[in-house]
Amino acid sequence: MSIWGAIAGGFAGTLVLTTALRAANELNLTRMDLPFLLGTAFTDDRTRAKALGYVLHFLVGLAFALIYYAIFVAIGHSGWWLGAIFGLAHGLFSGTALVDTLLPLVHPRMGTRSTAAPSVALLEPPGFLMLNYGAQTPLVSLAAHIGYGTLVGGFISLAT
Amino acid sequence: MRNSTAAEAEPRPRAAGYAPIRDYAAIGDGRAVAMVARDGAIDWLCLPDLDSSSVFGALLDAEQGGSFELCPSVPYRVERRYRPGTNVLETTFHAQGGVVRVVDAMTTAGPGLAPFRELARRVEGIAGDVSLRWRVEPRFGYAQATTRIGRRLGIPVATAGARAVAVQCWNADESATDRLSIGGSVDVRAGESALIALSASDQEPLVFSSREQVEARMDATGRAWEEWSAARDHDGPWGDAVIRSALALKLLVHAPSGAVAAASTTSLPEDIGGERNWDYRFSWVRDSAFTVGAFLGLGYAEDARAYFWWLMHASQLTKPRLRVLYRLDGGANARERTLPLNGYRASRPVRIGNAAAMQLQLDTYGELLQTAWLYATSGHRIDADIARRLAQMADFVCRIWRHPDAGIWEVRSQPRHFTQSKMMCWVALDRAGDLARRGLIPDRHAPRWAREAQTIQDFVETRCFSQVKRSYVRHPDSDELDASLLLGVLFSYGDPRSERWAGTIQAVRRELGNGPFVHRYTGEDGVEGSEGAFLTCSFWLVEALARSGRVEDAVELMDQLVGLGNDVGLYSEEIEPATGAFLGNLPQGLSHLALISAALAVAETRAA
Repeated sequence: MSIWGAIAGGFAGTLVLTTALRAANELNLTRMDLPFLLGTAFTDDRTRAKALGYVLHFLVGLAFALIYYAIFVAIGHSGWWLGAIFGLAHGLFSGTALVDTLLPLVHPRMGTRSTAAPSVALLEPPGFLMLNYGAQTPLVSLAAHIGYGTLVGGFISLAT
Repeated sequence: MRNSTAAEAEPRPRAAGYAPIRDYAAIGDGRAVAMVARDGAIDWLCLPDLDSSSVFGALLDAEQGGSFELCPSVPYRVERRYRPGTNVLETTFHAQGGVVRVVDAMTTAGPGLAPFRELARRVEGIAGDVSLRWRVEPRFGYAQATTRIGRRLGIPVATAGARAVAVQCWNADESATDRLSIGGSVDVRAGESALIALSASDQEPLVFSSREQVEARMDATGRAWEEWSAARDHDGPWGDAVIRSALALKLLVHAPSGAVAAASTTSLPEDIGGERNWDYRFSWVRDSAFTVGAFLGLGYAEDARAYFWWLMHASQLTKPRLRVLYRLDGGANARERTLPLNGYRASRPVRIGNAAAMQLQLDTYGELLQTAWLYATSGHRIDADIARRLAQMADFVCRIWRHPDAGIWEVRSQPRHFTQSKMMCWVALDRAGDLARRGLIPDRHAPRWAREAQTIQDFVETRCFSQVKRSYVRHPDSDELDASLLLGVLFSYGDPRSERWAGTIQAVRRELGNGPFVHRYTGEDGVEGSEGAFLTCSFWLVEALARSGRVEDAVELMDQLVGLGNDVGLYSEEIEPATGAFLGNLPQGLSHLALISAALAVAETRAA
């Protein structure tokens, strides 16, 4: 196991995750757009938000890869299959606590279930498992995160 | 304020437990809307959001629906108004022995740990000594769920599954609580006040407040509404009606997402006792251009932007197709089903969901591209993704405009080639072409858009105009009329001062008009029964008159129409011309949008 493997895996995993989500957008499977959600936390210019969001998403992807690495080191095991399990847990966490509950609380432009008149949100809240963004969203998100975890786990175990 | 107050009068008697639709005022917090009758009863409240299931549903079933009653225990006369510039309602009861005022608000802001949703009713003694009775009868899940009443810390609480309401009262008696309801009496003298607050929760613990916290939130709510309405940028001759309409519209804005519901109720009948009962608690693309136009025209750019962002986000999943309507959370599924409720004055079925969601309505493409055009030409930026989608939508219109559709009125008969749908397809391609010329959307297919627009125009001008009626007609080669054709004038299809438009406006007034009222169309629509006059069409007629150069006629008609709202200035969907009785869902967003649009158009025409 090596930290460089984690960084490489984080980069590759985020690349795959981002591409998968973008493809799902084009296929009308989901309206979830993680870079857009992240970027609009800092700007209301939609174009800039997406550009900034991609950078932030890669940084977040690298950070999660390092967390995976720390846990692998702590338990003394790694591997693509373990990474896939971590990815599944990561996807569930993202769809429930992280994006559904925590992100709306800190995102200045996203509504929460408590947003009241006369305020009005610029971004609709994702809802449980991000279901507000389409019925297929949980499946798409989980599949993409499992792919991410598999790559991170694989890269970490391969790197010496 | 012409529409903010009304002379005191005895409340009209309820018919089999149902108050006239005209008797309802709406209060809300940007998430939920409660409907308050002139006799003080709250007969409609869905929680936690206006498209959730009802906890008070007596509007649709007087026996089992549930309500929150609060009125003097002796005969009384009543007058009402909204506090100026707010959605806080004041109902003043003049009873034997004294005068008492009930102030109703759904709180939006303020100190303390706020409940998930809060409905507060303050009873203020004005003169003498008045005794009132109150009763909260919650019936969760459209009265289909089992509601249990118990106590927490001595406070009465009603629960059903993950939802609960607590009823706290101060300076009020709560001795009439039983297994089915929470209630008691209130005695107030001049200068005294009592307070009853309903705290609601969904998937979280209930929040109990102190009286001071509830009072402070009520005051803060009033100030928040005043600040919002003070920001408007319009001061025309019908300013009070315009700002009341803006406030009614704001009640329908779902603050968590920016979506705008068509109305806050479902299944209030267009035909008393009939089957024309629809769920309007969705956001219609049909209303989008009016919504953005109204917000921009009144200076509410933030609301316009939030709505446009929501609309483009919601429609992403079905691109380049548009659904007729979307849920307030942006979802596209609105499965229609019926509820085993008696219905307003036996008007059944009571529907939730709306099957129109799956119809093809070609006009929506024109309305969405008009919306984008309004948004972009008012200085807002359209990003590359949305620009690409708008261009794809124009391409899609080129492919589908030859299809028959259900039309703007969502007929449930066989799809037809509605003239208004074709006109709006022309509008879609015309606005797309203009956006492309301005460099705001890709222009690769602009020549094709122009060619198809010309083909559509040729079709409309040769097949959809009756030389006999001297008017555009409902569909090709017919003599049926349709008031929605007036939208052609409003959205600049052709020259508004042309002979053809003058003839059409005249024909609509002649054959669909009845005094200031206008019916929607002649001909069948696939649903049994008749309906009243459609208020929106009257306002469209005002705007069409103004834009075609007949400003004085427009002003005269508008003067009549602003007097047709109820005692607090709200409009429903339809009105019975003979009696003035309201029909259909209330408050109807499109009626209020059309009022604002007409007022702005007259002001614009006069200024030109």
